[in-house]
Amino acid sequence: MNLKDISLSDLAASICDHCRRNGIQVVLSGGACVSIYTQNEYMSYDLDFVLMSSVGRKRIKSAMKTLGFNEDGRHFRHPDTPFLVEFLSPPLSVGQEPVREIREIRRGKRILRLLSPTDCVKDRLAAFYHWNDRQSLDQAILVCRDAEVDLHEIKRWSISEGMKNRFGIFKKAISGEKAKVSMLSWIKK
Amino acid sequence: MLEPLLESPIKEKVLLYLHTHGESYPREIARDLGLYVNAVQYHLLKMEKGGVLYSKLKGKVRLFGINPCYPFKKDLEALLEKALTFVTDEERERLYKPRLRPRRTGKPLS
Repeated sequence: MNLKDISLSDLAASICDHCRRNGIQVVLSGGACVSIYTQNEYMSYDLDFVLMSSVGRKRIKSAMKTLGFNEDGRHFRHPDTPFLVEFLSPPLSVGQEPVREIREIRRGKRILRLLSPTDCVKDRLAAFYHWNDRQSLDQAILVCRDAEVDLHEIKRWSISEGMKNRFGIFKKAISGEKAKVSMLSWIKK
Repeated sequence: MLEPLLESPIKEKVLLYLHTHGESYPREIARDLGLYVNAVQYHLLKMEKGGVLYSKLKGKVRLFGINPCYPFKKDLEALLEKALTFVTDEERERLYKPRLRPRRTGKPLS
């Protein structure tokens, strides 16, 4: 497989589709989702796929081998691309809650399964809430600006994570960003 | 207590240690619990891979702790808290009751 100059979303869709054909269900999470929802304004080189059920390492290794990826510790690398692929243990969750909705994006004949923009924001906010990671807060804000997210749901989730005060910081930050669609979602409800 | 569930007495001790100490590194955990570093490291890495623990570099030391984003964190902590009540008083005092509050530089330990 020629991966020179392949985009993050095309590569993610290829891997997701290939895994599915090999009986391995995966969902893209982490910074790669931010890249996709922000049209690479934030660029991630990590493709973190969460396994939907436990799968033996040998099976993953064999599936990735046919795509030309080699195992490098916990990760998989391909000589033609800088992207680093990792498969994370189930369950698919954001903070303490399971992910209920999985978004599908079609790239040609391939389907990429990934976190919804709302869950992507929660995923980034979890890093801000629990690790005080400001970069993740910035990424959450970028996704709010570029994609439609449900801020009421994010507020509910933040409170259930015990992070009402930190949600206030996030809310203040997105107000300053004039988040186009997300602000509308506040007004609509 | 949790050995039948966790299938390893080391894993149980390491989890109880991290639950009561917050963060620590393999050598310190092994030293305090009287275990081999390799055995501790093995379980730490396995639990990190499973999302139960996180790790981060601080200087040259890799610190481990219970992952706040682990979906069963609250339940795990409740289980560990319950397990602590079954630990002997002597063991609890010696291994799982560290002094965590700060102490100003130069002030002698009482």
